[in-house]
Amino acid sequence: MRTRKYWAPSLLAMAIASPAMASDLNVNGFMSVGASMLDKDNGTEVAGADNQGGFKQDTILGLQVSKQVNDSTSITGQLVSRGSDDYATEAAWAFVTYAVNDELDLRMGRLRIPAFYYSDFLEVGYTYNSIRPAEEVYRLPFSSVDGIDITKRFSSGNVDGSVQFYYGRYIGDFSNSGSTYDADFRNLTGISLTTNMGDFGGRISYNQAELNLQGDPPAGSDLALGILGAQALAGSTDAAEDFNITGQTSQFIAAALTYDNGTYSALAEWTALNQETDLLMDDQAWLVSVATRMGEFTPHITYSTQKDEYESGRVGQIQKQLGLATEESSITVGVRYDYDSSTALKFEIQNHDEKTIKSADGDSATLYSVAVDLVF
Amino acid sequence: MKLFKHSCSALLITMASSIAFADTSVIVSASNPNSTMDENTVSKIFLGKSKSFPDGSQALPVDQDEGSAVRESFNTTVLGKSDSQLKSYWSRLIFTGKGTPPKQSGTDADIKSLVANNPNIIGYIDSSAVDGTVKVVHKF
Repeated sequence: MRTRKYWAPSLLAMAIASPAMASDLNVNGFMSVGASMLDKDNGTEVAGADNQGGFKQDTILGLQVSKQVNDSTSITGQLVSRGSDDYATEAAWAFVTYAVNDELDLRMGRLRIPAFYYSDFLEVGYTYNSIRPAEEVYRLPFSSVDGIDITKRFSSGNVDGSVQFYYGRYIGDFSNSGSTYDADFRNLTGISLTTNMGDFGGRISYNQAELNLQGDPPAGSDLALGILGAQALAGSTDAAEDFNITGQTSQFIAAALTYDNGTYSALAEWTALNQETDLLMDDQAWLVSVATRMGEFTPHITYSTQKDEYESGRVGQIQKQLGLATEESSITVGVRYDYDSSTALKFEIQNHDEKTIKSADGDSATLYSVAVDLVF
Repeated sequence: MKLFKHSCSALLITMASSIAFADTSVIVSASNPNSTMDENTVSKIFLGKSKSFPDGSQALPVDQDEGSAVRESFNTTVLGKSDSQLKSYWSRLIFTGKGTPPKQSGTDADIKSLVANNPNIIGYIDSSAVDGTVKVVHKF
């Protein structure tokens, strides 16, 4: 009885304050289930799919738990299990947020690198129209950083936005042309600026990383063969020095423009990679996408393209002989159907054209995909 | 012709009264010092872009339950977004730990009593449910 008396007032206070208090444990999740099939059996691979059909590549499950620990501190953890990764579960996000004030947040832990427009919600298919972001543009082989970031929000009149600065390190898998390496990317840092003004939005980001592999690339892997090949072609180890990876810096920049008036929406995003090592190609990639909402249906079309750029002179010739360059583009046409306010069904057709692959002529193929995206 | 005029005016009256009844009021506690707010201010608070009232005190928005007609009209009129668009907007923030949507806290009566008892809470209800315990800061 005593205990009950003791608890009653605080329970009442909680009941009154509960909608205002964010101190409950928030559990949210998202899921995408997809199936895709390629029309050709010519070795071309689009979005990890082949002509045998599959349910695995676009299937993903995410669970997020967050809790406001006190007035200024909250914790967030997000576990993601990806079909493309044999359903291995990984912490995509795991961080503590300290709100300095209403406009300034400090975060520490595992964060998403804010490289692209879709980076923050890359895996939450429900938040965009297509089944997956255009592969040609969304091509970075890793997306997380362990470190800190600072986000400053601003708002005045009908303009609002944020500036985000991050610094950290990435230790984990790094996949490049079919092989996986143990990466230790250091001094991973960047800044991004996002603004919205009425129906228009804009975003720019600059990112850089010092490349480092843990140990030598495995014998027979593309990078190991590439270094050996470059040494043979250049005539000596010294002459091929610029083909080494360790300690070399890579830069990535992106700029995006968005428009959304409720009925029509558009996104244009341009990106460029500048690699100090000559073993990885510099490139540019961009996309343009438009969509229109017609009730529950949202048809959309996207053009996306990527092109590697050879270095000048002898280095470029070696890159060509090593077969490093790719040039490809896709046209994707699809429709999203909002079944209810947390479920979307999607269907799309992607015509993928590989103009150049491994510095030789490529092929083209068409990919058919369906997916169901949910948030809960 | 007379009949036509009659039915026309009857129709107009019906329309006018239904519009009057469908009025939605954005409300704060009677003890909240803020007076009127424009649509943009209300929208920013409900989209999590602004965390305080014009006088600087903390603002805590609460939503009506999903499926309520008042919520629908608030979303389309003030926020300019459909249910799915809004869900998409919040999903982008939820899964990056950058924000959580206003809590779904019932219908007119529930919202009114929450708002009346806490000067930091802001909600919206059908205008016909407004009484002296709350203050209307915006109406549409």
